Amino acid sequence: MNARKITIEPVTRIEGHGRVTVHLNEEGKVEQTFFHVDEFRGLEKFCEGRPYFEMTQITQRICGICPVSHHLASAKACDGVARLEPPRPAKLLRELLHMGQYVQSHGMHFFHLAAPDLVLGFDADPAIRNVFGIIAANPELALKAVNLRRYGQQIIERLGGKRVHPNFAVPGGVNSPLNQKDRDEILAELDTMVGIAKVAVSIGKDWIGSNMELVKSFATFPSSYMGLVDMEGGLQLYDGEIRVMDAEGNIAAQFRTDHYLSYVAEHVESWSFLKFPYLRKLGWPNGTYRVGPLGRLNVADKIGTPLANEEFKLFKQINSGKPVEGSLFYHYARLIELVYALERIAQLLDDPDILSTDIRAYPSSTKLAGQGVGVVEAPRGTLFHDYATDENGQLTRVNLIVATGNNNWAMHTASGLVAKAFVDGNKLTEGMLNRVEAAIRCYDPCLSCATHAIGKMPLEITLIAADGKVLDRISR
Amino acid sequence: MDIIVCSLATFYIYKGIMNRTLVIGFGNLDRADDGVAYYVINALRRRLGQKILSEEMTGLEGLGGEIDSIFLSQLVPELMDVLTDYDQVIFVDAHVYENVDNLHCTPVTQDYTPPTFSHNITPPMLLAFLKKLYHREPNGYLVSIRGYDFDFHRNLSVDTKALVEPAVEYIQSRLLSDNAH
Repeated sequence: MNARKITIEPVTRIEGHGRVTVHLNEEGKVEQTFFHVDEFRGLEKFCEGRPYFEMTQITQRICGICPVSHHLASAKACDGVARLEPPRPAKLLRELLHMGQYVQSHGMHFFHLAAPDLVLGFDADPAIRNVFGIIAANPELALKAVNLRRYGQQIIERLGGKRVHPNFAVPGGVNSPLNQKDRDEILAELDTMVGIAKVAVSIGKDWIGSNMELVKSFATFPSSYMGLVDMEGGLQLYDGEIRVMDAEGNIAAQFRTDHYLSYVAEHVESWSFLKFPYLRKLGWPNGTYRVGPLGRLNVADKIGTPLANEEFKLFKQINSGKPVEGSLFYHYARLIELVYALERIAQLLDDPDILSTDIRAYPSSTKLAGQGVGVVEAPRGTLFHDYATDENGQLTRVNLIVATGNNNWAMHTASGLVAKAFVDGNKLTEGMLNRVEAAIRCYDPCLSCATHAIGKMPLEITLIAADGKVLDRISR
Repeated sequence: MDIIVCSLATFYIYKGIMNRTLVIGFGNLDRADDGVAYYVINALRRRLGQKILSEEMTGLEGLGGEIDSIFLSQLVPELMDVLTDYDQVIFVDAHVYENVDNLHCTPVTQDYTPPTFSHNITPPMLLAFLKKLYHREPNGYLVSIRGYDFDFHRNLSVDTKALVEPAVEYIQSRLLSDNAH
């Protein structure tokens, strides 16, 4: 029998356009797998020459799913360029906006993208293995999901004027305070939303408990991990220092966000437009790391809200305090963060400064720093915005390392491991290929962000013979 | 035409027989013709004597009339909460198909096709969700307008701009015909 290649294109229920090629050997077994991202990357270049303060609006156009993350990372980079330290109330309001996005993004991922596999099964008929199948199986759960997403989106709208591409964070702070009515209305629904998040955690944990053998072996591999932490090592999503933990659980590095270039480098492969970041001191490929919910919970020592911290303690027991390696645990970590985001909203709204009108710092001098780095934890992982300007504030260099880009190597590795474990070229089934997609979906990638793509977004698995002939392709 | 629609609407509301209609325009204002629905919505609002939407407004804040209209970047699941209050929904969007009429007006029936992109919800999907989750089945129509230019700017191409008023005419005729029973 000839060796063959499988292409999964597009990979579904992720954000963006990607492609997986599975190369089979002459016995029909998986030899090698590649996760390709074929989108065009060009945003960094066409921003050059623009005034730096436009970037909070320009960069969030990269994506309609995570505009808030780009908006906030950009604002922080602009703070640096303009030498401005936002007042405390402005930081609280930015974080509140961020938590609104976490609630809608994590909620949508679990109920809309992950749940079809978890609730209906990897081998369920693809015609029903989707959100519509979830609605049919459990309409009450689906309504809860819609409600949770609506809640997160409304927080963004209340602060930023609209749900997609808000206008809120500006260099030095934010452009409008929170009013009492909006604060009270957000608070009024909070308990209901925490209840929905608890239901999601319960579903996730039940599924993990019932499938522990699979969960522990599915796309499980050692790596380093990255995430923001506060000064006490607690989980941080808006601010803090970057911590990198090695595969053994040792802190490999902890550094200020504006020092990132001394620690992070990017590797290029010929078969993908998406670069492969890695920790400089460990080199390529030993320095590859994972970001996002699993990365953040692995590097953190604690979580600063009670319910999430209780779940966090259970999470840490999974591998006896060492980093949790299984990709499917991303779902559990994501749900813990969902609880945290809701609890954090309560903390922020209870803060006496949250209604303050002291929301913006103004420059005392026209002299710019000429450089600024802004880092936030986007729902999908660590997001870097780095701008350099001339003396007039026109951008001379833009560097964006996006959450999904940080997980590029991990998605490539995860899809390869799952292909080897489940794909048999002699008896190919849709469920086998769905597992390869599911490995990528654990990371909730946003490929349009990662490549800063313009234009179409579709993602594809291809089966290729030893002689290079394409034998099969899944393109939904 | 607009005076006739307003007068008839007042009459039908008075008689209590007017269906509530929501006109939903969606698209990306930053991508030229992709934002054509914004211009259609505002042309309709102008004819109906309603407040024009600024680029920062969606119209969601001013719902409650017999004929409401909104403009969004994309269709989203939480729109279902809004749609439960309406008997008729008219979707307005841009299209790129050479083999479809430049102004393509057609009924929308519920349908669910698994999305290639998770955040992509189509009018048939939205109506299907609505039926499944809320047991509501408003009449659906799609007004789809041919776009020619999807570059990064906020102007309509000449050919697409010429389709704005005909699209509004169609929507108004739809409003009249559905209430003239």
